[in-house]
Amino acid sequence: MREYLLEFKEVYYSYMESQQLALNSLTLRIPSGKKCALIGQNGCGKTTLLLLANGLYKPNRGVVSWCGEPLTYNRNYLGRLRQKVGLVFQNPEQQLVAATVEEDISYGLCNLGLPVVEIQQRVEEVLIEFELTNLAQTPTHHLSLGQKKRVSIADVMVLRPELLLLDEPTAYLDIKQTRNLIAMLNKIHQHGTTLVMATHDLDLVYRWADWVFVMDRGKLMLEGSPQDVFGQRRLLEELELGLPLICD
Amino acid sequence: MQLGYIRDVPNRKNPKNKPAKQFPMIHQIDTLSYTNRLRKLSPWHKLIFAFTTLAISLASDPRVQILTVIWMSIWTVIYAKIPAKVYLQLLMFTIVFGLMSLPALIVNGVSIFDIESVKLDSWYGITLGNFYVYISHNGTIQAWNILTRSLSSASCVYFMILTIPFTEILGILRYLGVPILITDLLLLMYRFIFILLSTANELWTAQTSRGGYRTAGVGMKSLAILIGQLLQRSLQQYNQFSLGLEARGFVSEFRVWRQYRYSLELRYIIESIVGCVVLIGLNFW
Repeated sequence: MREYLLEFKEVYYSYMESQQLALNSLTLRIPSGKKCALIGQNGCGKTTLLLLANGLYKPNRGVVSWCGEPLTYNRNYLGRLRQKVGLVFQNPEQQLVAATVEEDISYGLCNLGLPVVEIQQRVEEVLIEFELTNLAQTPTHHLSLGQKKRVSIADVMVLRPELLLLDEPTAYLDIKQTRNLIAMLNKIHQHGTTLVMATHDLDLVYRWADWVFVMDRGKLMLEGSPQDVFGQRRLLEELELGLPLICD
Repeated sequence: MQLGYIRDVPNRKNPKNKPAKQFPMIHQIDTLSYTNRLRKLSPWHKLIFAFTTLAISLASDPRVQILTVIWMSIWTVIYAKIPAKVYLQLLMFTIVFGLMSLPALIVNGVSIFDIESVKLDSWYGITLGNFYVYISHNGTIQAWNILTRSLSSASCVYFMILTIPFTEILGILRYLGVPILITDLLLLMYRFIFILLSTANELWTAQTSRGGYRTAGVGMKSLAILIGQLLQRSLQQYNQFSLGLEARGFVSEFRVWRQYRYSLELRYIIESIVGCVVLIGLNFW
């Protein structure tokens, strides 16, 4: 197994409508097999990074590479990449595209052009895994937010990605739903998927992650194990990120 | 492998979990189409049944049409367990629209010199200046025919939209070879209607909580903002949605897989066939 799955090398990216660089010479490597957390203030470039990692945006300068190979931005390659790199958006509404849960889960598989028998088998497996069987034929706009999150993760996991990117998965969830989400992510991790979660919940990062990236204004400021990162109090204080409550 | 999951608890503190309240009708119809008692029956059967009764009622006389309304109402309210209140509300729409157009058919007017020619047709009339305005005999029969006809066709169509989920109708359209472009557009419209409604609802709630509709004048301004914002946010959502599609590997056409788990109930099949035959027979009786 490779040591690093996805690598960013001096990547620059800016949105058309703003003068500021969203990513400013970002260099970052996602270690394989780890539970990574990505922290930083709002607007520091976390979401941009995830969108670039999924090949949805192309860097202005610099290289993003998957398993040591730079990404090529053509349809075929990106199709294959997006199967290996799953992205769960912060807002499930953005991700749920089909009308019912079952159809929505099958959507990614149909895009891969798999045979119907395999699609059926994989959809059914995932429905059971994520305890969505009862909701299979429910229209997606009848679901609660917690249910939508669950479906949006199932959507991506049905493709069996090697790397799962999650953009603030715990936003808007209450404590109980957050706990269930984490349990679900841990099981996914145990089955060999590398995880990257962008989040503001430092307590969660401290308890859950094995590797932490700290970003500020489009740059990687610090990385390491949670103990190491949260030991750097002065730097975190400067970045106005605070510390986890349970750290002390 | 058995994974953990996000359990759903009714969450009163989180307003995001609440369904839209301001636009109940379309939501209600949509929900009912997924939860009614006839959901398990094949959409093909229901669709064929609805179209057959529709065809019969269009070709029949008022007596049969009234029977059709009663029979379809039994299917909708008793068999499919659609709340009578919702169903009556829908029928009322039709009745009100029908009644609004009736005066034009029933009341006729002619010049006072032609009064002889309409004498047989007139039930009751008054002279207004040079005009003779009267209630027409033929017009009344025509109006009655139109009313029963529109009611009976409406009851067939309501049966269809209340018992067949839109996604299954789409499935049928795809099967029938309707161009993908059209079915995809219909699907996206269907998805977006609810996103748009909930966005409008959120904006409206936010405005109301800040006193946006306290007086009619302020309300008009707020409404203007709401409509403008709705457009802007729809565009934003469109952008996000296309990113979402791309991230999930969209390739030129929208394809999904669905499982068919329909049951066949002989009782309903027999009743629908016998009923249709009886309705047709009554026309010749």
